[in-house]
Amino acid sequence: MKLSLTYAFGVSNFTVFVKPPLFRNLHHSVCLSLKPTPPPPAAAAPLKHRMPLFLRPPTYTAPMSELHKWHEWAKSLASSVGTTFEDLDNGPDSSLLCRELKWLVEDVVEDQTLPSLTQSEKCERNVGVRVSLEELYKLWKERIEDRRPFQYIVGCEHWRDLVLCVQDGVLIPRPETERIVDLVGDVVLDNEELREGLWVDLGTGSGAIAIGVGMMLKSWGRVIATDLSPLALSVAAFNVQRYDLQDVVELRQGSWFEPLKDLEGKVAGIISNPPYIPSENISGLQAEVRRHEPRIALDGGVHGMDDLLHLCKGAASVLKSGGFFAFETNGEKQCKHLVEYMETAAGDSFCNLNIVPDFAGIQRFVTGFRK
Amino acid sequence: MASSLLRKRTRRNNLWFLHPRTLTQHLLPSSPESQSQSQKFPLFQNPPNSIQNHDFSDSAFSKFLLKSSKHVASSTANVSGRRFDSQRRRFFGSQTAAEPSTSDGLTVERIVANGWTILDESENDWKSHAAAVAQSIHLIKKRMKWKKLLVLLDMLTMELNKPDLWNDPVHAGKVSREHGSLMGKMKGVNAFERELLEHIDMIKLAREENDAELESESLKALLQMRRISKEKELEAMLSGENDPCSCYIEVQAGAGGTESMDWASMVMEMYKLWGQHRHYKITVVDEMPGEIAGIKRATIKVDGEYAYGYAKAEVGVHRLVRISPFDSNKRRHTSFAAVAVIPILGEGYTHVQINESDLRIERFRSGGAGGQHANTTDSAVRIVHIPTGITATCQNERSQHQNKASAMAVLQSRLDQREMARQVQMNAQHTQSLTDITWGNQIRSYVLHPYRMVKDLRTNYEVSDTDSVLEGDLDGFIMSYLSASLDKDEDDR
Ligand SMILES: C[S@@+](CC[C@H](N)C(=O)[O-])C[C@H]1O[C@@H](n2cnc3c(N)ncnc32)[C@H](O)[C@@H]1O
Repeated sequence: MKLSLTYAFGVSNFTVFVKPPLFRNLHHSVCLSLKPTPPPPAAAAPLKHRMPLFLRPPTYTAPMSELHKWHEWAKSLASSVGTTFEDLDNGPDSSLLCRELKWLVEDVVEDQTLPSLTQSEKCERNVGVRVSLEELYKLWKERIEDRRPFQYIVGCEHWRDLVLCVQDGVLIPRPETERIVDLVGDVVLDNEELREGLWVDLGTGSGAIAIGVGMMLKSWGRVIATDLSPLALSVAAFNVQRYDLQDVVELRQGSWFEPLKDLEGKVAGIISNPPYIPSENISGLQAEVRRHEPRIALDGGVHGMDDLLHLCKGAASVLKSGGFFAFETNGEKQCKHLVEYMETAAGDSFCNLNIVPDFAGIQRFVTGFRK
Repeated sequence: MASSLLRKRTRRNNLWFLHPRTLTQHLLPSSPESQSQSQKFPLFQNPPNSIQNHDFSDSAFSKFLLKSSKHVASSTANVSGRRFDSQRRRFFGSQTAAEPSTSDGLTVERIVANGWTILDESENDWKSHAAAVAQSIHLIKKRMKWKKLLVLLDMLTMELNKPDLWNDPVHAGKVSREHGSLMGKMKGVNAFERELLEHIDMIKLAREENDAELESESLKALLQMRRISKEKELEAMLSGENDPCSCYIEVQAGAGGTESMDWASMVMEMYKLWGQHRHYKITVVDEMPGEIAGIKRATIKVDGEYAYGYAKAEVGVHRLVRISPFDSNKRRHTSFAAVAVIPILGEGYTHVQINESDLRIERFRSGGAGGQHANTTDSAVRIVHIPTGITATCQNERSQHQNKASAMAVLQSRLDQREMARQVQMNAQHTQSLTDITWGNQIRSYVLHPYRMVKDLRTNYEVSDTDSVLEGDLDGFIMSYLSASLDKDEDDR
């Protein structure tokens, strides 16, 4: 069931061939919800992989003055936004967009020691850049006019101390989720069995949690990361490779616990950030999310709890006694519901249930142990 | 030049190492006053082979050697043991404590006391060069607070010699590190001092021997020392314990709305440019923009050697007088910006312990449901240290984790600084945090109208090219302040 991926590094496009195991129809078998069925994943089709800008070779050159011109244009475009997006759907305001512009320049310009672009109006010196000027205009236009997420534009997201590659079709890891890795860090600190055990990241997306935990447990434990989406898995594989964790993080394709049938009662910890947004809220989401991020990564059914509840049930049988879990949720309501569910409906399987807030003070995570 | 001096010295030491006695003899004090070399070493006739085997032809010292070796016939010369011992001490003994002198007993202090006229560098007068170098050494020692250092060195040495020192390995490590770094600092000055005296010896010898070439080489060497000593004087201004550290610079706008927020951002820009000139790495850690223009406050990190040592001269209130571009009536405004500087203590310093449970970490500027709902590149974090109420914010990193780490670093430095101020209760105002700085504490005024002038109120140093100052040309202000504050008390040497 292990996914085998072939890819080449150092080229701007690489292809991942997924040899599909048994994920056909799996989604239907586990989804109890009324949420729309995602389009079937294009199984054996080669997946186009976009190389993030910062990893591309600086094959283009542009005079500083031209870059300056682009930069001025981009800045004025960003400024023209004001608070329109913020007022509309809690999107970014000008100051945020200007900061993104700064980061875009960081990712694109080869020589970071150059005098700043704002002061190089007349400088005719050529500088190495990783995309053409034309592309730069196009990218920034997409950012502002199409509200394409900045992370898709540059092809990466800085998350914890990692730089994870992301691309359209794969959820951009959220800052809140960083906390899950800390929660794992806390429980393995004085618990050797957990530290040296097998961990599972369900719905790994770009591989963020799995890699974060993998970096931490490197010399002791192991992580299996799963996802239904082959594209997500190919991106995760790329990221795993970039952090040299191939021997620590194993990728498996399939729906939730399906690819883990061989591990019943053997897992030390389960971590997951499953889709949890109630279906009816999807259409009101911020444009960056609604228009560009994959619905399969967001939509958690009518109450947003379909996948979370499914995970709770499965956790009871996959976790070994003393095993730990941490799930991200949509907030207080889901946290409370989940705890209640675990205390009652899920039998007498869990203990030390806990709700942990994120840094914005929203009750975000539910953690606990298998009895 | 520094390296050629170094080379010379290394060679000399090597040589001494290879032929201890021979060299000792060569370096023996040349006769004071009337006695001539030949009278003192009547037996010496042929150069010893061992020395000829080495190639020293390009150094003044080798000349000296070959020269005197005319007289040095045998390595078994009969030299008085007492003299040998005194030479030995000069090379191996407690180099920091003993005051080095020339063969005829001239010391740096005596040269200074002699009051030899210091002429222009172009005048090739050895006494003038020597006096200039001696004066620099004098100043350097004063700036380093030499007498205090000697006391400190004694204390540390005593501590190191305690038999039970290593019962507390942490303390022992600290003591031995401090001892080592102090020795290092002091040795450097002593070596420079000895170098001066040796050149003087050589010049005297060359004169006695009528060796014009040796004389001119030694003169050249003295001139070089004179030039280097100017740099060393500057370096010595930064001999405070925390001076070598990187630092944070914080700027806060005074009352007065947009005009003073604009001034605060001009001040911050001035420091960014100053840092760039000095090749420091500048990162904006935290910035709270004003509603219309400028900043309410901001923190930058200045990474690089001696950033704190220099920047600490900027602590205080900076005043601007100009016609405000934000005043439609074009009136003259006076506004203020406060500057604080916090050293970033590196490894090897003692840090304040922070308990995880004393911290409250908050997402800054959050709103909405967060999580999967939101895609944002903003992950600013604020950390509050509950017991002290001290906070730190960072918003310029690309991940929340890094913002948190940066904010933690700022918080650590703030708490360290607070502790330093508490412990040392120094008169030093540069340990003040932004909240301690009173708006009355003005250190510099920048007048753009009706005339143009930047004037430091502490040193009266002034510059009329206001643009260059606002573009970061601050070194004149910094140096004059540092030297004024260091050189004032006479007996602090
Ligand atoms: C909210 S995203 C989280 C991604 C990643 N863990 C993170 O935190 O950035 C949810 C992930 O679950 C995956 N997913 C959705 N339905 C799934 C299913 N039935 N089985 C496995 N994974 C699924 C999606 O492809 C998506 O990558």
